[in-house]
Amino acid sequence: MNQNTMQKTVLHAQQVRKSFGVRGNVQQVLRGIDLRVVEGEFVGIMGPSGSGKSTLLNVLATIDKATEGKIFVGDMDISNMKNAELSDFRRKKLGFIFQDYNLLDTLTVKENILLPISLGKMKKAAAEAEFQAIAADLGIGEIAHKYPHEISGGQRQRTSAARALIHRPSIVYADEPTGALDSKAASALLGMIEELNRQRNITIMMVTHDPVASSYCSRVVFLKDGMLYSEVYRGSKTRQAFFKDILNVQAVLGGDHVDSV
Amino acid sequence: MTLFELVIRSMRKNTKHYYLYYFALIFSTSLYFIFATLQNDSSVITASIGNIQFSSMFNAAGILVLVIVVVFMIYANSIFLNRRSKEIGLYQLVGLTHSTVARLLITENALLGMGALLIGVGGGALVSRLFVLILMKLIGIENPVTLSFSGTAALQTIIVFSVIIGLTLVQMLFKVYHTTLLDLFTANRQGDHPKQPKTVLSALMGLVGIVLIAFGYILSAHTLGPNLFLQLATILGSTILGTYLLFRVTIGWLFFRIRKGKGGQLGLKNSLSLAPIMHRMKGNANSLTLITILSAMTLTMVAISYSLYYSAESESRGMLPYDFIFENNEQDAKSFRAELDKAGFTFVNRPVEAIRLQGAIGQNEEGSNLLLLGAEQLQANGRDIVVPGQGEAVWYTGLRKALSKELDTVAFPQAVDFDANGVQVKLNITREVDRYAMNYSIYGRQLIVPTATIRAIREQMPASPEYEAIHIDTYKIADKNEREAASGIYAKVVKGNKLSPDFDTFYKASLRKFGLIIFIAGFLGLIFLISTGSILYFKQMTEAEQERKSFTILRQLGFGEREIMGGIIRKQMFVFAIPLGIGLMHSMFAVKAASKLALSDLTFPTAISMSVYTLIYFVFAILTLVYYRRIVRAAL
Ligand SMILES: Nc1ncnc2c1ncn2[C@@H]1O[C@H](COP(=O)(O)OP(=O)(O)OP(=O)(O)O)[C@@H](O)[C@H]1O
Ligand SMILES: [Mg+2]
Repeated sequence: MNQNTMQKTVLHAQQVRKSFGVRGNVQQVLRGIDLRVVEGEFVGIMGPSGSGKSTLLNVLATIDKATEGKIFVGDMDISNMKNAELSDFRRKKLGFIFQDYNLLDTLTVKENILLPISLGKMKKAAAEAEFQAIAADLGIGEIAHKYPHEISGGQRQRTSAARALIHRPSIVYADEPTGALDSKAASALLGMIEELNRQRNITIMMVTHDPVASSYCSRVVFLKDGMLYSEVYRGSKTRQAFFKDILNVQAVLGGDHVDSV
Repeated sequence: MTLFELVIRSMRKNTKHYYLYYFALIFSTSLYFIFATLQNDSSVITASIGNIQFSSMFNAAGILVLVIVVVFMIYANSIFLNRRSKEIGLYQLVGLTHSTVARLLITENALLGMGALLIGVGGGALVSRLFVLILMKLIGIENPVTLSFSGTAALQTIIVFSVIIGLTLVQMLFKVYHTTLLDLFTANRQGDHPKQPKTVLSALMGLVGIVLIAFGYILSAHTLGPNLFLQLATILGSTILGTYLLFRVTIGWLFFRIRKGKGGQLGLKNSLSLAPIMHRMKGNANSLTLITILSAMTLTMVAISYSLYYSAESESRGMLPYDFIFENNEQDAKSFRAELDKAGFTFVNRPVEAIRLQGAIGQNEEGSNLLLLGAEQLQANGRDIVVPGQGEAVWYTGLRKALSKELDTVAFPQAVDFDANGVQVKLNITREVDRYAMNYSIYGRQLIVPTATIRAIREQMPASPEYEAIHIDTYKIADKNEREAASGIYAKVVKGNKLSPDFDTFYKASLRKFGLIIFIAGFLGLIFLISTGSILYFKQMTEAEQERKSFTILRQLGFGEREIMGGIIRKQMFVFAIPLGIGLMHSMFAVKAASKLALSDLTFPTAISMSVYTLIYFVFAILTLVYYRRIVRAAL
C-alpha cells in the first residue's frame, strides 16, 4: 500500500505467535500475525470474543511476551528486551487506555494524569503546560482536583486518555475504552480521541467490539482464531459509510452481535 | 461437600494466608503458659530469692499479660474477619444459611484455636526451662533448677485461652449475623476518601495536639509534687490525647500542605506513600495511637528496668561507698582485719573521725542529727572528694534529686548552728551532693568538713549529751571476687545489732531484685512488641491486598518493580517509623523523669534497650516489605 510506505512506520509486527499453557496442553491464541502501523494511524481491531484481540494488544504493548515473532516500535526491537528495559520503554514510549479506566483511587485527576512523567526530567512548568493543554483538549480542566470516585465514567475515561497522552507516546493502545460507557459518553470520548489523532498526529490502536466505535478509526483490522482475517480502510468515506463497510465484514465473519448507529 | 470438608479446606487455605496470626496466637499461648508456670512454681522463685513480694509482682505482671493478649486477639481477629468478609459473603451468596456459615466458622476457629493451644502449651513446656535459666542467670543464682511440667499452669492457660477464643467466636457470630451481604462485599474497599481539611480548624486542632504533647513533656520534667497521682494522670492524658490528635489531624494536615505544594505533580514515590496514607488516616488514627502508646509504655518499662539492672552496682556504691564499716567498734574491726589477713585478701583499711550532734539546717528546720565527717580522711581513701574551706561544709544528702523535696526550699549557702554546752559553732553549707559520703546505714545527715573543724569541735564541746565522737573503721576489698568471702567473715565477726549492711550483700540483693524486674519487664516487653508488630503487619498485609490493583496499573504504565518498591519503602518508613519515633520520644521523656530517682547515669542502658527494641520492631517492617514485594511481583 503506497500510502503506508510513504509515512514513518511506528509499529511493525512480524509473524507474531502466542500460545498459553504448558506442554501437552498448549493453546495457540495468536498464529502468526503480520501488522504494520504508520504514524498518525487510528487502527481498530475487531473480532469475535476469544479471537485473541486482547492478547494481541497486550503482546504489542509489551505487557505480555510473544512466544515467537518480532515486534518493532519505531526502530526498536522489543521482542528481545529484558523486563526492566520493557518497563522503561513502556513508560516512555507507550500510552494505555483500559476498559475500566485503571485510575489510582488515591490520586486526584491531575495527579493521575501527571503520573507517567513523574520519573522523567521534565521541568515543573513544562509539565504544567502539558497538563493544561491536554486537559483543555479533553475537557477535564474543571475537575483536575477531584478524585476518581467523584467524577462520571466518561470523565474518568477522558482522564485515562489524558494520562495516556501526556508524555507524547509513540503509540497509544486502548482496550475497549468505551466498553463501560453509555453511547453518549462513548461517542463524546471517541470524538475527542479522533480529534486528537488528527490534530496531534497521534498513532492509536484500539480494540473494540462496537462497530460504532471502530467507525471512528482510519482502518479496522479483523481477527479470527488468532489470524488476520481482513482489514478495511476508511479513506475519504464518511463515518456512516465506513460503519456499513465494517458491518458487512462482521456479517461475513459472524460471531458478534451488531449495534445500530 | 460436607461442612467438615469445607472446614478443612478453608482451614488449609487460611493457615497459609494467616500464618502470622496463628504464629502470634501460638506464641502468646506459649508465653502465657511459661508465665503461669513460673507463677505457679513459685517455690523455684521464692526459694532462690526468698521474698514473697515477688510473687505479687508476678501476679500483677500476669494480669498485664492477660490484658494485652485479650486486646491483641480481639484486634487481630477483627482484622482477620474483615479480610475474610468477602469469603463469608460468598458462602451466603451460594445459599448457605447464616447458621451454617456460623457453624463453619466456629468449627474452623475452634479447631485452629485448640491446635494453637496445644502447640502453645507444648512449646511453652519445652522452652520454659530456658526462661528459668535466663531468670537465674539474671538474678545471679548458679544452682541448677529442676522444673517439672506444671499441670496447674496448663489448666490456667487452657481456661484463659478458651475464654479468649470464645470471645473471638462471639465476634465472628456478630459479624455473620449483623452485617449485610453488601457490607461484607465492600468491607475490603478502600476506606474514606481524603477530604480537603478545613484549613483553619484543622491547623488549630493539629497545633493543639502538639501543644498537649509538649505540655505533658514539660509537666514530666517538673519534680513530682504532692499530687503525684493527679500529675501522672494529667501527663498521661495530655500525652495520649495529643498523640491521637497528632495522628488524626496534625500529620494529615501536614501531608495535605505538602501535597498541595506539589501542584498535582506528586511523583511516583509520594503517590505510593503520601496518598495512600492520607487515604486511610482517619481509620488508622486509632490503631496508630494505640501502637504508639503501647510502644512508649514498653520502651519506658524496659528502659527503666534495664537501667536499674545495669546500674545496680553503681547504685549500690552510691549507697555504700565502703565495703564494710565499723562504728565505734575497734575490737571487731581488729579481728576482722586479722581474719582478712589470714584469708590473704588485699584490702584498704582506713579510720575516719566523725562527730554526731544535734543541729538545724535552715531556719524552719527542727533540730536533727548531723554527722560531721573529716574530708581529708575520706580523700585519703582515694575518694573523689573536695575538701571544703575553713568554716564550710558540703552536705552529702544521698537523696535522688526528685525525692529531695525539702531541698527545694533550702538555698545555698546555708548556715548551720550547733548549740551545745553554751558553745556555738556556725558552719556554712556551700552545696549539696546527691551521694553518700559514708555508708547510708550510719545514723545522721552527712556533712563533710575539714578535719581541722572536727578537731576544733571536739575540743570545744566535751561531754555534752548532744555530742558524740565517732570513730569509723572503713574497709575496701580490692578484688571483687573476694568480697563475698569477706562478707561471710564480716557476718561471723560482727554480731547482733552492730551488724550494718555490707556492700556485697546489698549489691547481690539488689541485683536479684532488679534481675527479676528486668526479667518480667523483658517478658512483658516481648509480648507487647510482638503484639504491636503483628498488628502493624496485619494492617499492612491488608493494605497491600487492597493496593494490588494500583500496582497492576503502575506496572502496566511501565513503572518497574524497583521504582514501585521505592515508593512502598517510603510508605512503610512512615507507617512504622512515625509511631516508633513518637513512642521513642514519649519514652525518652518518661525515662528522663524517672532517672531523677537514680544515682547513676541511665543514658547508656536506655540507649541499649531502645536500640534492641527498634531492631526487633523493624523486623516486622522488613516482613511487610517482603510481603509487598511478592504482591508487586505478581501484579503484572
Ligand atoms: N493468561 C492466559 N492463560 C491462558 N489462556 C489465555 C490467557 N489469556 C487469554 N487466554 C486465552 O486466549 C484466548 C483469546 O483471549 P483474548 O482475551 O485475547 O480474547 P479477546 O479477543 O480479547 O476476547 P474478548 O472479545 O472476549 O475480550 C481465549 O481463548 C483465552 O482463553
Ligand atoms: Mg478482550
